Amino acid sequence: MAGSATNEELLARWRDEPAPLLPLLHAFHDRDGFLSEDALRHVADGLRIPLADLYGTVTFYHHFAREPGGRGESRVCVGPVCRQRGAETLAHALEARGERVARMPCPGRCDEPVPVLRGDLVVTGPDAEHLSNGPTPLPAPPASTAADPRSGGFEECVFRHIRDPGRATLEGYRATGGYAALELALAAGPGDVIDTLDASGLAGRGGAGFPTGRKWRAVAEADGGAKTVVCNADEGEPGCFKDRVLMDHDPFATLEGMTLAAYATGATLGFIYLRYEYPETIGILEDAIADATDAGLLGASILGRDGFDFRIHVRRGAGAYICGEETSLLNSLEGKHPFPRNRPPFPVTHGYLGRPTVVNNVETLCSVPPIVRKGAEWYRGLGLGDHSGTKVISLSGDVRRPGNYEVPLGLPLRTLLHDWAGGPSEGRAVRAVTMAGLSGGFIAGDDLDAVTLDEPSVRSRGSFLGAGGIMVFDDSRDMVDVSHSAMEFFAEESCGKCFPCRIGTQRLTERLNGGGPRDLAEWLDEVTDLEATMKSTSACGLGQAAPLVTESLRRYFPEQIERHLTERRPDE
Amino acid sequence: MSDRNGRGGESDGAGAANTLTLDGMEVSFEPGETLYEIAERHGKMVPTLCYDERLEPFGGCRLCIVELEGSRNPVASCTHRAEPGMVVRTHTAHLETHRRTLMEMVASENREVDVDPLSGYASQEMATLVDRYDARTGRFAGHRSGVSRPDDDNPFILRDYENCISCYRCVRVCAEQEGDYAISVKNRGFETRITVEFDGLLKDSACTFCGQCIQTCPTGALADLKALANRDIPGETEKTRTICPYCGVGCSVDVMTRGDTIVGVQPAMDGPANEGALCVKGQFAFDFVQHPDRLKTPFVRGDDGELRPATWDEALDRAADGLGNVVRKHGRHAVYGVASGRAPHEAAYMMQRFMRAGLGTHNIDNCSRA
Amino acid sequence: MSNPLRDMEEPDVYFCIGTNMTEAHPVAATRIKKGLARGARLVVADPRRIRLAEIADLHLQLRVGTDASLLLGIAHVIAREGLVDESFMAERTTGGVDFLEHVREFTPEWAESVTDVPAADIERAALMYGGAERGAIYYTLGITEHVCGVDNVQSLCNLALMTGNVGREGTGINPMRGQNNIQGAGDCGALPTNYPGFQSVLDPANRAKFAAVYGREADLEKGMTKVQALNLAGDRIRAMFIDGENTVVTDPDRQHCEKALGSLDFLVVADIFMTETAELADVVFPASGWAETDGVFTNTERRVQRVRAAVPPPDEARPDWWIINELARRMGFQNFEFESPKEIFNELCELSPLYHGLDWDRIEHGEYQWPVPEAGHPGTPRLHEDEFPNGRGVFKLIRYRDPAETLSDAYPVWLTTGRRLASYHSRTQTGRAKGIDYLLPEETLEVHPDDVAEWGLEDGGWATMASPRGEISIRVQATNRSPRGTVFASFSFADTPVNDLTGGGYDPDTDTAELKVCPVRVTPREGLGRGGTGA
Repeated sequence: MAGSATNEELLARWRDEPAPLLPLLHAFHDRDGFLSEDALRHVADGLRIPLADLYGTVTFYHHFAREPGGRGESRVCVGPVCRQRGAETLAHALEARGERVARMPCPGRCDEPVPVLRGDLVVTGPDAEHLSNGPTPLPAPPASTAADPRSGGFEECVFRHIRDPGRATLEGYRATGGYAALELALAAGPGDVIDTLDASGLAGRGGAGFPTGRKWRAVAEADGGAKTVVCNADEGEPGCFKDRVLMDHDPFATLEGMTLAAYATGATLGFIYLRYEYPETIGILEDAIADATDAGLLGASILGRDGFDFRIHVRRGAGAYICGEETSLLNSLEGKHPFPRNRPPFPVTHGYLGRPTVVNNVETLCSVPPIVRKGAEWYRGLGLGDHSGTKVISLSGDVRRPGNYEVPLGLPLRTLLHDWAGGPSEGRAVRAVTMAGLSGGFIAGDDLDAVTLDEPSVRSRGSFLGAGGIMVFDDSRDMVDVSHSAMEFFAEESCGKCFPCRIGTQRLTERLNGGGPRDLAEWLDEVTDLEATMKSTSACGLGQAAPLVTESLRRYFPEQIERHLTERRPDE
Repeated sequence: MSDRNGRGGESDGAGAANTLTLDGMEVSFEPGETLYEIAERHGKMVPTLCYDERLEPFGGCRLCIVELEGSRNPVASCTHRAEPGMVVRTHTAHLETHRRTLMEMVASENREVDVDPLSGYASQEMATLVDRYDARTGRFAGHRSGVSRPDDDNPFILRDYENCISCYRCVRVCAEQEGDYAISVKNRGFETRITVEFDGLLKDSACTFCGQCIQTCPTGALADLKALANRDIPGETEKTRTICPYCGVGCSVDVMTRGDTIVGVQPAMDGPANEGALCVKGQFAFDFVQHPDRLKTPFVRGDDGELRPATWDEALDRAADGLGNVVRKHGRHAVYGVASGRAPHEAAYMMQRFMRAGLGTHNIDNCSRA
Repeated sequence: MSNPLRDMEEPDVYFCIGTNMTEAHPVAATRIKKGLARGARLVVADPRRIRLAEIADLHLQLRVGTDASLLLGIAHVIAREGLVDESFMAERTTGGVDFLEHVREFTPEWAESVTDVPAADIERAALMYGGAERGAIYYTLGITEHVCGVDNVQSLCNLALMTGNVGREGTGINPMRGQNNIQGAGDCGALPTNYPGFQSVLDPANRAKFAAVYGREADLEKGMTKVQALNLAGDRIRAMFIDGENTVVTDPDRQHCEKALGSLDFLVVADIFMTETAELADVVFPASGWAETDGVFTNTERRVQRVRAAVPPPDEARPDWWIINELARRMGFQNFEFESPKEIFNELCELSPLYHGLDWDRIEHGEYQWPVPEAGHPGTPRLHEDEFPNGRGVFKLIRYRDPAETLSDAYPVWLTTGRRLASYHSRTQTGRAKGIDYLLPEETLEVHPDDVAEWGLEDGGWATMASPRGEISIRVQATNRSPRGTVFASFSFADTPVNDLTGGGYDPDTDTAELKVCPVRVTPREGLGRGGTGA
């Protein structure tokens, strides 16, 4: 939309589109550089949303500026890795250059610290003087040379073709097997697709790990009007940047996965809910959707099949971690306050606008076409031991070769850390790693050598693999400080709906930052009670997972806690 | 009733299977009922702070958690619908421990727990639960979560958010019960603030001052300023159930009195016409009754043409003479009676009876034509 | 109301006409808002863009006083589109054939020419209401306070009858009563035509029944309405006894009212304040107020509810019933020996078929809606479920009539009057409640911003508004709520006596004044403030 579009033109553009609120807000935000009172009044009138609700909802999102010029600020990542890599120094340097600087939580560029978001560009570089925009780094090729310590001949699933030249074009995608799965599926029938997924053991790769076949079957069997497929591309977990590389370098895989989901479930409407911090990805996806539509791979009568209609709309988030939680995401799409919904009922029966809805993560959807094409047995065989398939790990922090790695489930953590990623820098040892981005807390000590990358092994250590973000901290890092910044993130991102999370993340943050009891026993008493109640009673995964940070801190680093309490400044 | 008793066949077919085990007892339920509703029906006293039976269950406070066999974590009973065969426990040691921790947590974010009962209908809920769970421990001390709005100069609704626990009952009652959507929530997490459009004053918002928010607030953060203005009047607060004196909807209210003084009004949650709703007039415009302007004595027009106070005897005799003279001079149809649409039946009935049975005329009307 | 308040959450389509419900009946409006939240649709017909119109799916912004033609246009479309409930019309109504023929000439285009509502919107409204499984009509004084008020009501009945939207949950024709016990006053027989229970005074059997209990014969002819009585004051009417009504302020044409009351030989007023009307009386009785006396109110859905004393009345103030009873005794009337409201109410129940199944104790919890014909009857939340009072619903052939006064060069602007949320009637009550002034400190004249500019007014400045009956000063408020050429004010403020201007005509059947339409002239006031106005 042109920068000079009138309020009425913006409204007319979006009013009758599905899920119009976010794109309409972005349109005003892009045009004006912030969301003015006048803009909100127009949007409220145009979409018939109560003004107070709209105001409240806008304030929920991190990236909607309410002051003139706010959108133009330089937003510097202060996520867990970037904090260790000079984020504050960079922010001060930018301020010294006269830029308006804001701090933002992890925008999913942990492989290139420290990213800065300026308008619709992400720039990175060694210092404030040398920031530039570049493409998302590709995953390192497996076993490129004989000298490469990475070996074992593990076959990839979602990364199999991502490095192939031209893969991001429709032509290149089809040349490397793309859309063969959809053609096979059309020949076999929707039931076969779901049966194959069931047999493959594929489970959600966004963190929750729900069996994909079961989810699709539930939607296929659910009553109700226009079914919907939502691709959860709100990759907000700190330390996770795998979906970005999949969308940027293999966008048609996501589209084909969604189209297969639509075919299997009978859905006609599709959304990709993309996190705000991936501005370059919007254009890539929208171009891919246009090309696929032109080629008859989206839209009406896909591949000539009468009645197989499916359209995909990209919706950009606005900076809210909780919107990666699927029911918050649905509320966000619907223009509501993005609180998680109470479950049951689940999205498979009561999703977008109360209709049956598939919500799948990008990686999950990208896994589907190869599985359909090569079969369930093939996929099961990709894992080690009893484990089915692969998982992309976003590895960052204190290792020599950070990046995305597609590992066979069951791979020992230390193999990934040391053989594949080159281990910590010279003279350092790994002190701890996070799991599930931040949500799984830490793994440290002897567990670093013992744990394998699969849910049973990780969960047996009080953590979980989740979306597969692993941040590495070497022995120079203060783990109470790391924990504090992690908990501060959860406190800032807590939606505020349920008491244990809203209050608990705040109280734990304070206790990791010099607040709370001075006495160790009292401190531990409060912290353990908070953890127990948060884990058991929080309404969604955020509040249930956040206490894993302090729980693992207590388990692995009691002496650091004691030092923290001893050295804390006296109370005012 | 369970099939074990051989009486299952007596209930309707669909209902027979609708039983679950509640604290070891098999109980039946209606399709769609929540675990909380069933527990309430059986007197389980499951605690809650975000629940208002008129509103959609929210699941925010998590105090109403119950243990559900087969579920890893406890579930919020207010949002969880019953299904046949569920095994539910409402008061295990674990649950009670979590509830106590939750009460300590929520107490830690407020400036004060004890507020005057005149604050609102539900204003004692928080303090009652803090006491029930012995949660005045001072644990989890830290920042408070709300910012009060002393700048809001409206005369009806106190906005003391330093006592707010973000239960969203005000937000939801404003939307779901009142349909005004004036109150909303800004920010998130511990920075959550109950607010209105653009963070302004209530009078500049969509607020209609119906008072529903102050009546559902469990902490007195939103409170009835008109009632609180009477907090120093001595005596116990008594409530008298009656009907609002304004429009024809007929909302049930409880008039609160101390001694012979009306100190406030609260809506009757079980009022058949209003089910707990009121408007600004019914909620706040009650004090005309005891206004100094009230007529406290009869008046008669004196020889000087001015009205002057009189005794009842004098006034009644004057009125009887005046009306009687007209009847004598001009006949009974020269007198006209106007009954009030404001006074109770007995006034209107007596007025028509006066005209018909007393004077023998149908010259009677009421004010419905205006 | 034909249907209970709780039915207000059930319709698929609401048709609200001439009702500013969110301000005049806010709690009833909450039920409509709940219906909308559940997905129901709302059509609002109102000259002003009131709150209800803002939340509506369709707002028919008709010119004041043209309701009947709008409703004819809607009926035309319903008939044309085959949305008529033929079996309902055949089984429950009479006159339908003639009616369907009658409406053929009233096309939406014709209705547009009268109402200024686009024909396409009239079509949409007809399709929505006519197509509803459960369509409900709600109206208030915007329908009745016209010279054609009865025609308007009949037109609404026609719509409900032709679509079968009567006697079922979520349907009906539902007038909302404006005062807490105005329904009760009628129930109790405070009407020139009816004994208690709406029993006609023209029926000899009724006369005999009441004569037996009252011990006195009354005429077998009806009395006159209050409007007629005021017109004949000083002539056939020489004395009045007014209980709890501020006639001077709330009735139209204040000068006429004051003159009428002033010309009486004798005036008795009972009230709780020294109202403008009480000031004119020869004797003023101090009545007890709300929350000071036990009694009964009946609400707009015919629900019979107890009211209770919470505090004693001040000093010498006494309950109305006691005052009337005492006065009757002083006048030597027989059979006025009542000692409690309970006795009085129970006598009413004895005599009223609508209340016959009730007594003082039975209405303790307010669960009964009349009629309750005998003890044990559950009451009647919904009227006309099986049949109408006279058997079949009767279609009436209505034509459009102009208001009593229409625009002229001298009075080129429509004034329409109504209520505001924070004030009630003449503010004898709300004007004395602390804090209400914060919300509504004074009356204003709502004028469209373009008219403000064109007429040389100023937002917040003073205007003079005149009708053939007088002129007043009023502060101007520029607002899009008013359409071009139509202004609005309420009559609540004694210092802005809007009813000095109104009263150009009355419905010939009911004597209801045309308070909703009054041609006026609006001009900037010279000088500052209101000083020196000749109200």
